[in-house]
Amino acid sequence: MAKGRELKGRIRSFENTRKITRTMEMVATSKMKRAQDRVVAARPYAAALREVIGSLYSPELAARFPLLRQPATVRRAAVLLLTSNRGQAGAFNSNLIREARGLVDRLERSGTAVELHVVGRKGVGYFRYIGRAMASSRTDLTDRPTTRDATDLVTGVMDAFVRGALDAVYVVYARFVSALATPPTTDRILPVEPPARPGGRTTGRQHDYLLLPSAEAILEELLPAYVRNAVYRALVETAAAEQGARRTAMKAATDNANEVINTLRRQFNRARQAQITQEIAEIVGGAAALGG
Amino acid sequence: MKASVVSPERTLYEGDVSSVVAPAFDGEIGILPRHAPLVTLLGRGVLRLEGAGGGTRRFDVAGGFLQVADDIVRVVTETASALA
Repeated sequence: MAKGRELKGRIRSFENTRKITRTMEMVATSKMKRAQDRVVAARPYAAALREVIGSLYSPELAARFPLLRQPATVRRAAVLLLTSNRGQAGAFNSNLIREARGLVDRLERSGTAVELHVVGRKGVGYFRYIGRAMASSRTDLTDRPTTRDATDLVTGVMDAFVRGALDAVYVVYARFVSALATPPTTDRILPVEPPARPGGRTTGRQHDYLLLPSAEAILEELLPAYVRNAVYRALVETAAAEQGARRTAMKAATDNANEVINTLRRQFNRARQAQITQEIAEIVGGAAALGG
Repeated sequence: MKASVVSPERTLYEGDVSSVVAPAFDGEIGILPRHAPLVTLLGRGVLRLEGAGGGTRRFDVAGGFLQVADDIVRVVTETASALA
């Protein structure tokens, strides 16, 4: 029964694979939950910052802040791409890379020089492979990005923007909509798009804040914090999205393994049955010949 | 009045307080209930929250701002850590 033994081996091999994918699915599920908590925990700060900047901002102030400078033509731009360090997450990284390539192509077609900053082994590996120069690359970020990471990433481009060496900065990341939806997303973080006034600008229900020392000094401090926070949020969302994508991919792999195992088992049983039938036929045949 | 201490990574405190003393950019500022709407930059120092039911909480903060509106005090800062 050579065929049976071969099938048994294959079944065992698929069972081992299934064990691994199922474990990875469970690990990703629990990591995703924790990462999701961090996404939620980051909301109050972002909301508070948005509200205060929105209520202090007025278009007359815009000219005084380099971070709000709207260049007439974008000649030099930076793209910050966030990917993961590990694979086994389905199309997660390739989607992000495709989004970033599309953005870079669009910018370059319109005559903009683009410098690329890449986070994550997957993105860095890809751009190194196609031979595209990166202005910076980092592969040392963990599953739990910190505000320090965000600050390190964005300070350089923010300084360049203030100096006038860059006219726009984009971040490409995976938005965490839900465990199943993690679309690659492009946000322009510089120049800063001032958040809308809370409650819309027409309603008169505005607090008449006492401002210490002044609206200008406060914005001066909060605008860079707002940019840093945009990058921090992109980092935590991407971290959660990565685990969500991995969970989905590993669940699909486990389901596939189940299906293959079922098919192989059916083949194995059929082969075994065929063999038994044949043996019986041989015995009966032999007995008939003897009794003849 | 209500108070909260918020950092980019998480909310460090949220609850009812009877007074707040914060290290503003130019010296300490005290906030009591029904304070006028205010936004002030913070410096480096110790933030003290007197709980409504007694008990003081202390946080080490540096930078960020404090906002008072509708009897709600929000301390929003990139660097804050609870002190014993």
